[in-house]
Amino acid sequence: MRHGIQRIGVRLLMLVALCLLGGLLSASLVRFSPGYGVDERELDPRLSPATVEAIRNSHRLNSGLLSYYGHYLAGAVHGDFGSSEWLQRPISSLIKERLPVTGRSVLMGVLVAWVVALAISLATVFFRGYLLDISGTLVSGVLIALPAAVVAIFSVYLRTPVFLAIALVTFPKLFRYLRNLLAHAYAQPYILAAQARGIGQARILFHHVLPLAAPALFALLGVSLSMAFGAAIPIEALCDSPGVGQLAWQAALNRDLPLIMNLTLLVTIITVAANSFANVASERSL
Amino acid sequence: MTRRRLRVICAAVLCAIFGVGLFASTVSPYSYARQFRERPNAAPSASHLLGTDSLGRDLFARLVYGTRVSLLLAPAAALLATLIAGVFGGLAGLVGGWCEKLVLAAADLSMALPLLFVLLALRAVLPLDISPILSVIATFVLLGLLGWPSSLRVVWATTRNLRNSDFLLLARATGCGRWRMIVRHVFPNLRPVLFAQFWISIPLFVLTEATLSMLGLGVMEPLPSWGNLLRGLEDISAVSANLWRLAPLILLVLVVICFQLILPAQEETA
Repeated sequence: MRHGIQRIGVRLLMLVALCLLGGLLSASLVRFSPGYGVDERELDPRLSPATVEAIRNSHRLNSGLLSYYGHYLAGAVHGDFGSSEWLQRPISSLIKERLPVTGRSVLMGVLVAWVVALAISLATVFFRGYLLDISGTLVSGVLIALPAAVVAIFSVYLRTPVFLAIALVTFPKLFRYLRNLLAHAYAQPYILAAQARGIGQARILFHHVLPLAAPALFALLGVSLSMAFGAAIPIEALCDSPGVGQLAWQAALNRDLPLIMNLTLLVTIITVAANSFANVASERSL
Repeated sequence: MTRRRLRVICAAVLCAIFGVGLFASTVSPYSYARQFRERPNAAPSASHLLGTDSLGRDLFARLVYGTRVSLLLAPAAALLATLIAGVFGGLAGLVGGWCEKLVLAAADLSMALPLLFVLLALRAVLPLDISPILSVIATFVLLGLLGWPSSLRVVWATTRNLRNSDFLLLARATGCGRWRMIVRHVFPNLRPVLFAQFWISIPLFVLTEATLSMLGLGVMEPLPSWGNLLRGLEDISAVSANLWRLAPLILLVLVVICFQLILPAQEETA
């Protein structure tokens, strides 16, 4: 119990360290990128010299990396991540609007991918049918060879929901891991012995196979979330879904560095937290 | 068909496609940027094997030159990623201690990052109006610089096993110098693993470049790549009028599948 809490504490500390380090890296990239501090408003002939000077001074205030980072951290503690240069809106309100859309699509997509991959993998291992195995391998082989953006275009053609496109991108990688994992678990001598003794398949699956595969399954769960978030960018961009992925793409196209850096940091924290949670869960299941 | 024969066929297909890309200027009758303004969206014909795009450019020429860009630069990016993985993974495996912990922590952290978000962020740092050649270099250098973590883990695990092996112990006991040990004993044993990792990375980079270019953040027009050729799929009416517009997609899928089918052979050698 004590060790478990200690491990969770270490993971939380690592997450905080990642936030600080990621924040510093993002701040450095924004601060040292070409064109930092250039404000188009300075070119507006209607503004008086005093106003232009005030704008320049506001940029000079945070011109050093550390002061820029300190200013960013102080704002972030209060939920203020700065403003989007392109949309001229607070980044926190943009995230609040867009994150639920992506969160829903990603979670639904991962769920569908897991259910389908697990069902086909179990059927392949359980029935040992070559036809099922070959068709599963073929479908996953073709799907894995398709860029996520192409899946998104087909999804637009067929008017399927965004989460289904995310599921299609996540499914093939999941299926391959799951099939190998379950095949390995079912090949263990004690599972063969249990089958020989006539123990029911459901009992073998839930009492012997899944506990054996649990650590790897939890790790795979964390990785699948990371994969799904990555797939969300092209899919949301091309399917016109107003989520974080589409926002990140638009921010990159418009060179809105504060926005793209904050979004990258946010998604990184979510995926690292999910991976840490998966690691803690897999350690507990050992 | 035996597995071995399938691998030979895949290797032959890959060699043929690589060859076409390499000799693009000989294979293609036109330049990738030449416009036939009187023939936009033309159907396939003897003069334009796959037809033309909306700007009147020959699709076959663009596909052949795009193959050159995608298939010759993805191995370059894979080489960069494998080099980084080889140097740092090998170092971590051989030296151990804090160096190993530091390198593995960096690899674990990088593996947890959503690659496309980081690529987008780093690409956004660069100016968007760079020349097409620079955009190609930037895209593949970024891919190479970010694609090393999973390869590093494999290289590290192999090197750690080598460090504890009997033959290295014997080499150390007979007074073999550190550099000689690395060059004569460690590297030859790492070579199959490095080769397998290099091979695994190529289709991954081809696919990532395709996605980036389809989003307008990879290889810039007018230079063709499979990614920006696939952007043509967005126009469903043009695709249904000329199904040959699917050729870049078919080629991409074929190449990735061929790489996948050849792959186990490399793993076996590792």
